[in-house]
Amino acid sequence: MNRPALTSACAAMLRRDLTLAWRRRGDIAMPVLYALIVTTLFPFALGPEDTLLQRIAGGVVLVTVLLAMLLALDAMFSSDIEDGSLEQLVLAPQPLALMLGMKILAHWLATALPLILIAPLMAAMLHLPGAVIPVLLLALALATPLLSLLGAVLVALTAGTRRSGMLLALMLLPLCVPAVIFAAGAVAAAQQGLPWLAPVAWLAAALVLAVVLAPLACAAALRIALDA
Amino acid sequence: MSSWIPLWLHKLGSPPTFYRFAGTLQPWATALALLLGVVGLYGGLVLAPADYQQGDAYRIIFIHVPSAWMSMFIYGVMGVASFIALVWRIKLAEVVAMESAPIGAAFTFITLVTGSLWGKPMWGTWWTWDARLTSELVLLFLFLGVIGLYHAFEDRRQGARAAAFLAIIGIINVPIVHFSVNWWNTLHQGSTVNVFGPSKISGAMLWPLLTVTLATKFYYVASLCRRARTDLLDLESGKDWVRRIAEDEAGR
Repeated sequence: MNRPALTSACAAMLRRDLTLAWRRRGDIAMPVLYALIVTTLFPFALGPEDTLLQRIAGGVVLVTVLLAMLLALDAMFSSDIEDGSLEQLVLAPQPLALMLGMKILAHWLATALPLILIAPLMAAMLHLPGAVIPVLLLALALATPLLSLLGAVLVALTAGTRRSGMLLALMLLPLCVPAVIFAAGAVAAAQQGLPWLAPVAWLAAALVLAVVLAPLACAAALRIALDA
Repeated sequence: MSSWIPLWLHKLGSPPTFYRFAGTLQPWATALALLLGVVGLYGGLVLAPADYQQGDAYRIIFIHVPSAWMSMFIYGVMGVASFIALVWRIKLAEVVAMESAPIGAAFTFITLVTGSLWGKPMWGTWWTWDARLTSELVLLFLFLGVIGLYHAFEDRRQGARAAAFLAIIGIINVPIVHFSVNWWNTLHQGSTVNVFGPSKISGAMLWPLLTVTLATKFYYVASLCRRARTDLLDLESGKDWVRRIAEDEAGR
Protein backbone atom coordinates (compact mmCIF):
# COMPACT_ATOMS: atom_id res chain seq x y z
CA MET A 1 0.00 0.00 0.00
CA ASN A 2 1.62 3.26 -1.04
CA ARG A 3 1.12 6.46 0.89
CA PRO A 4 -1.01 8.53 -1.53
CA ALA A 5 -3.58 5.74 -1.80
CA LEU A 6 -3.90 5.62 1.99
CA THR A 7 -4.30 9.38 2.44
CA SER A 8 -6.83 9.57 -0.39
CA ALA A 9 -8.76 6.69 1.14
CA CYS A 10 -8.82 8.55 4.47
CA ALA A 11 -9.94 11.74 2.76
CA ALA A 12 -12.66 9.89 0.84
CA MET A 13 -13.92 8.27 4.04
CA LEU A 14 -14.01 11.62 5.83
CA ARG A 15 -15.72 13.34 2.90
CA ARG A 16 -18.32 10.58 2.60
CA ASP A 17 -19.26 10.66 6.27
CA LEU A 18 -19.39 14.45 6.43
CA THR A 19 -21.54 14.56 3.29
CA LEU A 20 -23.92 11.99 4.79
CA ALA A 21 -24.09 14.01 8.00
CA TRP A 22 -24.72 17.22 6.06
CA ARG A 23 -27.54 15.64 4.06
CA ARG A 24 -29.28 14.85 7.34
CA ARG A 25 -28.81 18.18 9.04
CA GLY A 26 -31.79 17.60 11.29
CA ASP A 27 -29.89 14.83 13.06
CA ILE A 28 -27.03 17.25 13.76
CA ALA A 29 -29.42 19.78 15.26
CA MET A 30 -31.00 17.25 17.61
CA PRO A 31 -28.20 16.98 20.23
CA VAL A 32 -27.74 20.76 20.16
CA LEU A 33 -31.43 21.33 20.83
CA TYR A 34 -31.40 18.68 23.53
CA ALA A 35 -28.44 20.32 25.28
CA LEU A 36 -30.10 23.75 25.13
CA ILE A 37 -33.37 22.40 26.53
CA VAL A 38 -31.63 20.59 29.41
CA THR A 39 -29.64 23.71 30.26
CA THR A 40 -32.83 25.79 30.25
CA LEU A 41 -34.48 23.38 32.66
CA PHE A 42 -31.84 23.75 35.39
CA PRO A 43 -32.73 27.33 36.43
CA PHE A 44 -36.39 26.28 36.58
CA ALA A 45 -35.64 23.30 38.77
CA LEU A 46 -33.08 24.95 41.07
CA GLY A 47 -34.36 28.51 41.17
CA PRO A 48 -32.76 31.46 39.36
CA GLU A 49 -30.20 32.31 42.06
CA ASP A 50 -27.03 33.58 40.40
CA THR A 51 -24.58 32.23 42.95
CA LEU A 52 -25.99 28.69 42.88
CA LEU A 53 -26.16 28.60 39.07
CA GLN A 54 -22.63 29.96 38.82
CA ARG A 55 -21.31 27.23 41.06
CA ILE A 56 -22.89 24.37 39.12
CA ALA A 57 -22.60 25.89 35.62
CA GLY A 58 -19.37 24.14 34.59
CA GLY A 59 -20.53 20.72 35.69
CA VAL A 60 -23.99 21.11 34.18
CA VAL A 61 -22.58 22.11 30.79
CA LEU A 62 -20.15 19.18 30.84
CA VAL A 63 -22.73 16.59 31.81
CA THR A 64 -25.27 17.99 29.35
CA VAL A 65 -22.76 17.82 26.51
CA LEU A 66 -21.87 14.26 27.55
CA LEU A 67 -25.52 13.18 27.52
CA ALA A 68 -26.18 14.91 24.22
CA MET A 69 -23.21 13.05 22.72
CA LEU A 70 -24.50 9.79 24.15
CA LEU A 71 -27.77 10.47 22.34
CA ALA A 72 -25.98 10.71 19.01
CA LEU A 73 -23.44 7.96 19.67
CA ASP A 74 -25.88 5.16 18.95
CA ALA A 75 -26.15 6.19 15.31
CA MET A 76 -22.41 6.11 14.66
CA PHE A 77 -22.37 2.81 12.77
CA SER A 78 -26.05 1.89 12.56
CA SER A 79 -26.80 3.14 9.02
CA ASP A 80 -23.54 1.65 7.73
CA ILE A 81 -24.45 -1.71 9.22
CA GLU A 82 -27.93 -1.59 7.71
CA ASP A 83 -26.74 -0.96 4.16
CA GLY A 84 -23.74 -3.26 4.48
CA SER A 85 -21.07 -0.65 3.82
CA LEU A 86 -19.41 -1.44 7.13
CA GLU A 87 -18.74 -5.01 5.99
CA GLN A 88 -17.17 -3.60 2.84
CA LEU A 89 -15.00 -1.40 5.02
CA VAL A 90 -13.88 -4.44 7.02
CA LEU A 91 -12.97 -6.21 3.76
CA ALA A 92 -11.21 -3.17 2.28
CA PRO A 93 -7.41 -3.36 1.85
CA GLN A 94 -6.88 -0.22 3.94
CA PRO A 95 -6.28 -0.76 7.67
CA LEU A 96 -9.65 -0.89 9.40
CA ALA A 97 -8.44 1.03 12.46
CA LEU A 98 -7.42 4.01 10.35
CA MET A 99 -10.72 4.05 8.47
CA LEU A 100 -12.65 3.84 11.73
CA GLY A 101 -10.51 6.65 13.10
CA MET A 102 -11.71 8.76 10.17
CA LYS A 103 -15.31 7.78 10.87
CA ILE A 104 -14.90 8.76 14.51
CA LEU A 105 -13.36 12.08 13.46
CA ALA A 106 -16.29 12.75 11.13
CA HIS A 107 -18.74 11.83 13.87
CA TRP A 108 -16.97 14.16 16.30
CA LEU A 109 -17.06 16.99 13.76
CA ALA A 110 -20.76 16.43 13.13
CA THR A 111 -21.98 16.04 16.74
CA ALA A 112 -19.43 17.36 19.24
CA LEU A 113 -18.26 20.46 17.39
CA PRO A 114 -21.73 22.07 17.27
CA LEU A 115 -22.07 21.32 20.97
CA ILE A 116 -18.74 23.00 21.73
CA LEU A 117 -19.83 25.99 19.63
CA ILE A 118 -22.99 26.51 21.68
CA ALA A 119 -21.27 25.73 25.00
CA PRO A 120 -20.47 29.45 25.61
CA LEU A 121 -24.16 30.19 25.21
CA MET A 122 -25.09 27.43 27.65
CA ALA A 123 -22.46 28.66 30.10
CA ALA A 124 -23.72 32.23 29.80
CA MET A 125 -27.29 31.08 30.46
CA LEU A 126 -26.04 29.75 33.81
CA HIS A 127 -23.99 32.90 34.53
CA LEU A 128 -20.58 31.27 34.32
CA PRO A 129 -18.00 34.10 34.56
CA GLY A 130 -16.63 35.07 31.15
CA ALA A 131 -13.04 34.49 32.23
CA VAL A 132 -13.75 30.78 32.85
CA ILE A 133 -15.36 30.11 29.47
CA PRO A 134 -12.04 29.63 27.58
CA VAL A 135 -11.05 26.96 30.13
CA LEU A 136 -14.44 25.32 29.72
CA LEU A 137 -14.01 25.30 25.95
CA LEU A 138 -10.51 23.86 26.25
CA ALA A 139 -11.75 21.15 28.61
CA LEU A 140 -14.63 20.36 26.23
CA ALA A 141 -12.29 20.32 23.22
CA LEU A 142 -10.22 17.64 24.99
CA ALA A 143 -13.01 15.70 26.70
CA THR A 144 -15.43 15.35 23.76
CA PRO A 145 -12.98 13.58 21.41
CA LEU A 146 -12.10 11.30 24.31
CA LEU A 147 -15.77 10.46 24.72
CA SER A 148 -16.21 9.96 20.98
CA LEU A 149 -13.27 7.55 20.89
CA LEU A 150 -14.34 5.57 23.97
CA GLY A 151 -17.92 5.60 22.79
CA ALA A 152 -16.91 4.31 19.37
CA VAL A 153 -15.33 1.22 20.94
CA LEU A 154 -18.51 0.48 22.87
CA VAL A 155 -20.78 1.21 19.91
CA ALA A 156 -18.69 -1.21 17.87
CA LEU A 157 -19.14 -3.84 20.59
CA THR A 158 -22.92 -3.43 20.52
CA ALA A 159 -23.02 -3.28 16.71
CA GLY A 160 -24.44 -6.78 16.39
CA THR A 161 -27.26 -6.28 18.91
CA ARG A 162 -30.76 -4.99 18.41
CA ARG A 163 -31.38 -2.89 21.51
CA SER A 164 -28.22 -1.08 22.47
CA GLY A 165 -29.29 2.36 23.71
CA MET A 166 -29.57 1.65 27.43
CA LEU A 167 -26.70 -0.77 27.36
CA LEU A 168 -24.44 1.84 25.80
CA ALA A 169 -25.14 4.27 28.63
CA LEU A 170 -24.44 1.56 31.21
CA MET A 171 -21.12 0.70 29.60
CA LEU A 172 -20.00 4.24 28.83
CA LEU A 173 -20.72 5.59 32.30
CA PRO A 174 -17.78 3.93 34.12
CA LEU A 175 -15.35 4.69 31.32
CA CYS A 176 -16.22 8.38 31.04
CA VAL A 177 -15.97 9.09 34.78
CA PRO A 178 -12.27 10.13 34.63
CA ALA A 179 -12.91 12.47 31.70
CA VAL A 180 -15.77 14.16 33.55
CA ILE A 181 -13.73 14.43 36.76
CA PHE A 182 -10.74 16.06 35.09
CA ALA A 183 -12.76 18.37 32.83
CA ALA A 184 -14.97 19.52 35.72
CA GLY A 185 -11.89 19.80 37.91
CA ALA A 186 -10.23 22.17 35.44
CA VAL A 187 -13.34 24.37 35.22
CA ALA A 188 -13.80 24.42 38.99
CA ALA A 189 -10.14 25.31 39.54
CA ALA A 190 -10.33 28.16 37.01
CA GLN A 191 -13.49 29.42 38.69
CA GLN A 192 -11.71 29.59 42.04
CA GLY A 193 -8.67 31.27 40.55
CA LEU A 194 -6.47 28.22 41.07
CA PRO A 195 -4.03 26.79 38.49
CA TRP A 196 -6.05 24.58 36.13
CA LEU A 197 -3.28 23.25 33.92
CA ALA A 198 -2.82 19.89 35.70
CA PRO A 199 -6.30 18.44 35.04
CA VAL A 200 -6.17 19.72 31.46
CA ALA A 201 -2.79 18.02 31.02
CA TRP A 202 -4.30 14.78 32.37
CA LEU A 203 -7.16 15.08 29.89
CA ALA A 204 -4.72 15.71 27.05
CA ALA A 205 -2.64 12.69 28.08
CA ALA A 206 -5.75 10.50 28.16
CA LEU A 207 -6.78 11.83 24.76
CA VAL A 208 -3.38 11.03 23.25
CA LEU A 209 -3.61 7.50 24.65
CA ALA A 210 -7.15 7.12 23.31
CA VAL A 211 -6.26 8.46 19.85
CA VAL A 212 -3.64 5.74 19.54
CA LEU A 213 -5.48 2.82 21.16
CA ALA A 214 -9.20 3.42 20.64
CA PRO A 215 -9.29 2.98 16.82
CA LEU A 216 -7.40 -0.30 17.20
CA ALA A 217 -9.77 -1.44 19.96
CA CYS A 218 -12.72 -0.26 17.87
CA ALA A 219 -11.55 -2.33 14.91
CA ALA A 220 -11.10 -5.41 17.10
CA ALA A 221 -14.52 -4.90 18.67
CA LEU A 222 -16.19 -4.47 15.29
CA ARG A 223 -14.60 -7.67 14.00
CA ILE A 224 -16.05 -9.50 17.03
CA ALA A 225 -19.48 -7.94 16.61
CA LEU A 226 -19.77 -8.58 12.87
CA ASP A 227 -18.33 -12.08 13.08
CA ALA A 228 -21.68 -13.85 13.12
CA MET B 1 9.03 -32.14 34.59
CA SER B 2 6.31 -34.66 33.99
CA SER B 3 4.02 -33.93 31.10
CA TRP B 4 0.76 -34.94 32.73
CA ILE B 5 0.02 -31.48 34.13
CA PRO B 6 -0.18 -29.65 30.76
CA LEU B 7 -1.96 -32.66 29.28
CA TRP B 8 -4.49 -32.63 32.13
CA LEU B 9 -5.02 -28.87 31.68
CA HIS B 10 -5.62 -29.33 27.96
CA LYS B 11 -8.13 -32.08 28.65
CA LEU B 12 -9.83 -29.92 31.25
CA GLY B 13 -10.54 -27.37 28.52
CA SER B 14 -12.97 -29.77 26.86
CA PRO B 15 -16.55 -29.31 28.08
CA PRO B 16 -17.37 -32.95 29.03
CA THR B 17 -14.15 -33.33 31.06
CA PHE B 18 -14.73 -30.04 32.80
CA TYR B 19 -18.35 -30.98 33.44
CA ARG B 20 -17.27 -34.12 35.30
CA PHE B 21 -14.39 -32.36 37.07
CA ALA B 22 -16.64 -29.49 38.23
CA GLY B 23 -19.21 -32.04 39.35
CA THR B 24 -16.73 -33.70 41.73
CA LEU B 25 -15.18 -30.40 42.84
CA GLN B 26 -18.41 -28.59 43.56
CA PRO B 27 -19.66 -30.51 46.67
CA TRP B 28 -16.22 -30.31 48.31
CA ALA B 29 -15.98 -26.58 47.66
CA THR B 30 -19.51 -26.05 48.98
CA ALA B 31 -18.76 -28.05 52.13
CA LEU B 32 -15.49 -26.18 52.75
CA ALA B 33 -17.18 -22.82 52.12
CA LEU B 34 -19.94 -23.63 54.60
CA LEU B 35 -17.54 -24.98 57.24
CA LEU B 36 -15.05 -22.12 56.97
CA GLY B 37 -17.86 -19.59 56.76
CA VAL B 38 -19.48 -20.84 59.97
CA VAL B 39 -16.12 -21.05 61.82
CA GLY B 40 -14.96 -17.67 60.56
CA LEU B 41 -18.23 -15.90 61.30
CA TYR B 42 -18.39 -17.47 64.78
CA GLY B 43 -14.83 -16.31 65.38
CA GLY B 44 -15.55 -12.86 64.06
CA LEU B 45 -18.97 -12.21 65.52
CA VAL B 46 -18.59 -14.00 68.88
CA LEU B 47 -14.98 -14.77 69.81
CA ALA B 48 -13.16 -11.68 68.53
CA PRO B 49 -12.98 -8.80 71.04
CA ALA B 50 -14.93 -5.59 70.43
CA ASP B 51 -13.02 -2.65 68.98
CA TYR B 52 -11.92 -0.07 71.58
CA GLN B 53 -13.34 2.76 69.49
CA GLN B 54 -16.08 1.35 67.27
CA GLY B 55 -17.47 -1.23 69.68
CA ASP B 56 -19.33 -4.06 67.99
CA ALA B 57 -20.07 -2.11 64.81
CA TYR B 58 -16.66 -2.94 63.38
CA ARG B 59 -17.71 -6.60 63.06
CA ILE B 60 -19.21 -5.85 59.67
CA ILE B 61 -15.67 -6.01 58.27
CA PHE B 62 -15.90 -9.80 58.48
CA ILE B 63 -18.39 -9.58 55.62
CA HIS B 64 -17.34 -6.32 54.01
CA VAL B 65 -13.61 -6.90 53.56
CA PRO B 66 -13.80 -10.47 52.18
CA SER B 67 -16.53 -9.38 49.75
CA ALA B 68 -14.44 -6.41 48.61
CA TRP B 69 -11.42 -8.65 48.06
CA MET B 70 -13.59 -11.09 46.14
CA SER B 71 -15.07 -8.35 43.95
CA MET B 72 -11.60 -7.46 42.70
CA PHE B 73 -10.40 -11.06 42.60
CA ILE B 74 -13.39 -12.17 40.50
CA TYR B 75 -12.92 -9.25 38.13
CA GLY B 76 -9.31 -10.35 37.78
CA VAL B 77 -10.35 -13.95 37.05
CA MET B 78 -12.93 -12.69 34.58
CA GLY B 79 -10.31 -10.51 32.87
CA VAL B 80 -7.81 -13.37 32.55
CA ALA B 81 -10.49 -15.80 31.33
CA SER B 82 -11.70 -13.16 28.85
CA PHE B 83 -8.19 -12.73 27.52
CA ILE B 84 -7.82 -16.49 27.09
CA ALA B 85 -11.26 -16.65 25.46
CA LEU B 86 -10.41 -13.92 22.94
CA VAL B 87 -6.89 -15.07 22.11
CA TRP B 88 -7.28 -18.86 22.03
CA ARG B 89 -11.04 -19.04 21.45
CA ILE B 90 -11.52 -21.60 24.20
CA LYS B 91 -15.21 -22.13 24.82
CA LEU B 92 -14.68 -22.99 28.48
CA ALA B 93 -12.84 -19.71 29.11
CA GLU B 94 -15.86 -17.84 27.74
CA VAL B 95 -18.13 -19.78 30.08
CA VAL B 96 -15.89 -19.13 33.09
CA ALA B 97 -15.64 -15.40 32.30
CA MET B 98 -19.37 -14.92 31.73
CA GLU B 99 -20.48 -17.03 34.68
CA SER B 100 -18.06 -15.18 36.97
CA ALA B 101 -19.68 -11.83 36.20
CA PRO B 102 -22.95 -12.29 38.17
CA ILE B 103 -21.06 -13.69 41.18
CA GLY B 104 -18.66 -10.75 41.06
CA ALA B 105 -21.53 -8.30 40.74
CA ALA B 106 -23.18 -9.88 43.79
CA PHE B 107 -19.99 -9.57 45.88
CA THR B 108 -19.53 -5.94 44.73
CA PHE B 109 -23.12 -5.20 45.69
CA ILE B 110 -22.64 -6.80 49.13
CA THR B 111 -19.48 -4.72 49.59
CA LEU B 112 -21.30 -1.50 48.80
CA VAL B 113 -24.33 -2.32 50.97
CA THR B 114 -22.34 -3.45 54.03
CA GLY B 115 -20.02 -0.47 53.62
CA SER B 116 -22.92 1.94 53.63
CA LEU B 117 -24.55 0.17 56.60
CA TRP B 118 -21.28 0.63 58.49
CA GLY B 119 -20.82 4.18 57.20
CA LYS B 120 -24.09 5.44 58.67
CA PRO B 121 -23.11 5.04 62.38
CA MET B 122 -19.35 5.62 61.85
CA TRP B 123 -19.10 8.40 59.26
CA GLY B 124 -22.61 9.72 59.75
CA THR B 125 -23.55 9.14 56.11
CA TRP B 126 -24.71 6.26 53.95
CA TRP B 127 -22.63 7.37 51.02
CA THR B 128 -19.84 9.78 50.22
CA TRP B 129 -18.13 10.47 46.90
CA ASP B 130 -14.82 9.13 48.09
CA ALA B 131 -12.34 7.60 45.64
CA ARG B 132 -12.55 4.05 47.04
CA LEU B 133 -16.35 4.07 47.18
CA THR B 134 -16.74 5.59 43.74
CA SER B 135 -14.30 3.21 42.07
CA GLU B 136 -16.07 0.25 43.70
CA LEU B 137 -19.37 1.57 42.34
CA VAL B 138 -17.75 1.84 38.91
CA LEU B 139 -16.68 -1.80 39.33
CA LEU B 140 -20.33 -2.74 39.87
CA PHE B 141 -21.32 -0.88 36.69
CA LEU B 142 -18.58 -2.69 34.79
CA PHE B 143 -19.89 -6.06 35.98
CA LEU B 144 -23.42 -5.04 35.02
CA GLY B 145 -22.20 -3.80 31.64
CA VAL B 146 -20.50 -7.14 30.95
CA ILE B 147 -23.65 -9.06 31.96
CA GLY B 148 -25.86 -6.76 29.89
CA LEU B 149 -23.70 -6.95 26.79
CA TYR B 150 -23.48 -10.75 27.05
CA HIS B 151 -27.25 -11.08 27.06
CA ALA B 152 -27.84 -8.48 24.32
CA PHE B 153 -26.62 -10.80 21.57
CA GLU B 154 -28.69 -13.49 19.90
CA ASP B 155 -25.67 -15.70 19.48
CA ARG B 156 -24.29 -16.59 22.93
CA ARG B 157 -20.71 -17.17 21.87
CA GLN B 158 -20.60 -13.88 19.99
CA GLY B 159 -22.07 -12.14 23.04
CA ALA B 160 -19.45 -13.80 25.22
CA ARG B 161 -16.64 -12.55 22.98
CA ALA B 162 -17.99 -8.99 22.91
CA ALA B 163 -18.49 -8.96 26.68
CA ALA B 164 -15.01 -10.44 27.17
CA PHE B 165 -13.60 -7.52 25.21
CA LEU B 166 -15.45 -5.09 27.48
CA ALA B 167 -14.16 -6.94 30.54
CA ILE B 168 -10.59 -6.50 29.32
CA ILE B 169 -11.10 -2.77 28.73
CA GLY B 170 -12.57 -2.41 32.22
CA ILE B 171 -9.74 -4.23 33.99
CA ILE B 172 -7.98 -0.85 34.21
CA ASN B 173 -10.37 -0.08 37.08
CA VAL B 174 -9.14 -2.90 39.34
CA PRO B 175 -5.77 -1.28 40.24
CA ILE B 176 -7.64 2.02 40.69
CA VAL B 177 -9.92 0.39 43.28
CA HIS B 178 -6.97 -1.24 45.01
CA PHE B 179 -4.66 1.79 45.15
CA SER B 180 -7.34 4.47 45.52
CA VAL B 181 -6.67 4.74 49.27
CA ASN B 182 -2.98 5.39 48.60
CA TRP B 183 -3.34 7.71 45.61
CA TRP B 184 -6.01 9.99 47.03
CA ASN B 185 -6.61 11.31 50.49
CA THR B 186 -9.81 9.39 51.16
CA LEU B 187 -12.30 9.02 53.96
CA HIS B 188 -12.06 5.25 53.51
CA GLN B 189 -9.22 3.90 55.62
CA GLY B 190 -6.01 2.59 54.12
CA SER B 191 -5.12 -1.08 53.97
CA THR B 192 -4.72 -2.78 57.32
CA VAL B 193 -3.96 -6.33 56.26
CA ASN B 194 -0.68 -6.72 54.40
CA VAL B 195 0.63 -9.79 52.64
CA PHE B 196 4.18 -8.41 52.77
CA GLY B 197 5.08 -7.05 56.18
CA PRO B 198 3.17 -6.98 59.45
CA SER B 199 -0.57 -6.34 59.46
CA LYS B 200 -1.98 -3.57 61.61
CA ILE B 201 -4.73 -5.74 63.05
CA SER B 202 -4.88 -7.90 66.14
CA GLY B 203 -4.45 -11.62 65.60
CA ALA B 204 -7.77 -12.31 67.32
CA MET B 205 -9.48 -10.29 64.58
CA LEU B 206 -7.20 -11.38 61.75
CA TRP B 207 -7.82 -15.14 61.81
CA PRO B 208 -11.62 -14.91 61.47
CA LEU B 209 -11.16 -12.38 58.67
CA LEU B 210 -8.84 -14.67 56.74
CA THR B 211 -11.09 -17.68 57.40
CA VAL B 212 -14.13 -15.89 56.00
CA THR B 213 -11.99 -14.79 53.04
CA LEU B 214 -11.12 -18.43 52.36
CA ALA B 215 -14.80 -19.32 52.70
CA THR B 216 -15.76 -16.74 50.07
CA LYS B 217 -13.07 -18.11 47.75
CA PHE B 218 -14.48 -21.63 48.11
CA TYR B 219 -18.00 -20.30 47.67
CA TYR B 220 -16.91 -18.68 44.43
CA VAL B 221 -15.38 -21.93 43.21
CA ALA B 222 -18.52 -23.88 44.13
CA SER B 223 -20.86 -21.34 42.60
CA LEU B 224 -18.77 -21.06 39.45
CA CYS B 225 -18.67 -24.86 39.03
CA ARG B 226 -22.42 -25.10 39.38
CA ARG B 227 -23.11 -22.21 37.00
CA ALA B 228 -20.54 -23.39 34.47
CA ARG B 229 -22.03 -26.91 34.47
CA THR B 230 -25.52 -25.58 33.78
CA ASP B 231 -24.20 -23.23 31.15
CA LEU B 232 -22.20 -25.98 29.44
CA LEU B 233 -25.26 -28.25 29.27
CA ASP B 234 -27.20 -25.41 27.69
CA LEU B 235 -24.43 -24.41 25.30
CA GLU B 236 -23.66 -27.96 24.16
CA SER B 237 -27.27 -29.15 24.20
CA GLY B 238 -27.03 -30.77 20.76
CA LYS B 239 -23.92 -32.80 21.56
CA ASP B 240 -23.68 -36.51 22.27
CA TRP B 241 -22.29 -36.25 25.80
CA VAL B 242 -25.14 -33.98 26.91
CA ARG B 243 -27.69 -36.33 25.37
CA ARG B 244 -26.14 -39.22 27.27
CA ILE B 245 -26.39 -37.28 30.54
CA ALA B 246 -30.00 -36.42 29.77
CA GLU B 247 -30.79 -40.07 29.05
CA ASP B 248 -29.14 -41.14 32.33
CA GLU B 249 -31.19 -38.56 34.21
CA ALA B 250 -34.38 -39.69 32.48
CA GLY B 251 -33.60 -43.36 33.22
CA ARG B 252 -33.34 -42.72 36.96
